[in-house]
Amino acid sequence: MPWLDLLLGITLVATAALSLTARDLFRGVIMFIVFGLLMALAWVRLQAPDIALAEAAIGAGLTGVLLLDTLGYLRRPFGSRADPTDERS
Amino acid sequence: MSGALAFAWSGVLLFGLGLFGFIMHRHLLRRLLAFNIMGSGSFLVLVGLAQDGRGVDPVPHAMVITGIVVAVASTALALVVFRRWYRASGRTDLPEDT
Repeated sequence: MPWLDLLLGITLVATAALSLTARDLFRGVIMFIVFGLLMALAWVRLQAPDIALAEAAIGAGLTGVLLLDTLGYLRRPFGSRADPTDERS
Repeated sequence: MSGALAFAWSGVLLFGLGLFGFIMHRHLLRRLLAFNIMGSGSFLVLVGLAQDGRGVDPVPHAMVITGIVVAVASTALALVVFRRWYRASGRTDLPEDT
């Protein structure tokens, strides 16, 4: 099915463009997670299920969680509460 | 054009898109997103060009899995450094960019 590969490649590029040109950062991070899941689909089409599993668990899941947590840290007013990762708190 | 070659071209496009975003954006989180997209494009080029009609080469697969793990580790490090920078200065970009 070469049309599926072509459609998946076009969708990958479009999702990456939407992730980079999103107006607010939250939408950009969500589109990046969608991009990671589509990348896992592309790895399956490339006969690499091991990379697909690694991409879905690490590339989409863990990176998305880290980015969303950092976005939540940015939503706080500056200097209001101590950073839990800050040892000087 | 085979499917692997289509994915390799998609990887080239993704690399160019990520490089463009990395140059154009000022916000450090957007820059990190662009850098991750650039890395995904290079992984697609690696695996897509390594396949022909004779089957699958496992060596680029191992390289790409290692690259994904290194990418998430460096992303976590960059996010911690970004948090410390935001906490110290209140800015989300670098002063030399303005």
